Amino acid sequence: MKHTIVKTALLLPCAAALALSGTGTALAADAAIPQLSGVWQFGRCVRDNGEVAQPFGGPGGNCMLLEENDARLTERAKAYRDAIEEAAQPKYDCAPISIPHMWSDPYSYQIEQKDDRVVITYGKDDVVRTIWLDGKGHPKPAINEFFYFGYSLGHYEGGKLIVETTKFAFDPQGLNADFKLASSTQKKVTEVYQIVDGNLDVEVTTIDTFFLKDPWVFHIRQAPDSEPLALPWACDAEASRDILKLAPSDYPNDPPIVRIQYP
Amino acid sequence: MKFIKTLCATIAFSVVTTAAFAHHSTNGIYDETKEVELTGRVISWKFINPHPTLKLAVKDASGAEVEWDVSYGGSAVTHLVRRGYTADTFKPGDVIKVKGFQALLEGAHGLLMERNNPTHEDGSPIIAPRE
Repeated sequence: MKHTIVKTALLLPCAAALALSGTGTALAADAAIPQLSGVWQFGRCVRDNGEVAQPFGGPGGNCMLLEENDARLTERAKAYRDAIEEAAQPKYDCAPISIPHMWSDPYSYQIEQKDDRVVITYGKDDVVRTIWLDGKGHPKPAINEFFYFGYSLGHYEGGKLIVETTKFAFDPQGLNADFKLASSTQKKVTEVYQIVDGNLDVEVTTIDTFFLKDPWVFHIRQAPDSEPLALPWACDAEASRDILKLAPSDYPNDPPIVRIQYP
Repeated sequence: MKFIKTLCATIAFSVVTTAAFAHHSTNGIYDETKEVELTGRVISWKFINPHPTLKLAVKDASGAEVEWDVSYGGSAVTHLVRRGYTADTFKPGDVIKVKGFQALLEGAHGLLMERNNPTHEDGSPIIAPRE
């Protein structure tokens, strides 16, 4: 009887922790660690005065988008933008959209907090990011390794998850795929996650001295999403390219683009 | 102009100035200041990512059928599911009415529908809102 009570007393908090995490990985109760696990909706911009804007609506509502002629863009960024033809954007081969531009796409995403890492699964492009928690003995990238989503290192501090991501591959759509704004291997994205009134708050700061004169900072708030992610995304390349037949080539004297077949 | 005249002669056509919801991936592709309505027969409906595709056969001035690409802009399957769409929403042969912005490229037959939903030919809704 005594053993049963002890077992129950031990099992109940474990079950509660498992239920909270939703991932099967119980995190130690620690005030420094916010409970971020769950599915979160597309974010809305938080203005400087604390008001939450409608998506893409009104002043401050487009904080996640770097506009075509944004004042923060360098002349170099504009030159790349003007030289790259729309059809050459990797998105037409189903390549994913990197961060921070990923935030501007209206999809939910899931966060799973594990002991040694945080896994973020996006509702678009079948993208899964791994944020390695500092000090857990994770693998580090070699000097010659670069990635679409970079290499993310995170730590918990005062109820926040702070993530720094570097080692991005050069990406012609790395700052904005729709305006052809590139990002370089010098892009660094810092994300700060915390829970505010049951919602997920994220502040995202991007620097890239090749393409941005000043840091680009935005602050978004995301409500919990009651619906699971609709995965797999299963991008269809032909459907992805469908719109290109409505866009004339910038280089009509060049031979026509012939897409290779991927294995 | 010639293209517009052709369109007017054969299909239901209306021009309405609207406050467009501009999705940036369609920038410069469609004339988002004018709304066009047309009626056609469904050739195919592919409920796929990144963007579901709807192809319609619409009669031109000579009575010949022209294939139109109807786009939902930046919307993906997950967005349309939330609006009540399924893989079976349209079947080949269905006659439907669509409203949206016409492609700018001369001679192209593209329509950006985005937030509108197609209706039956008589204007009654096809898409039942999800409960």
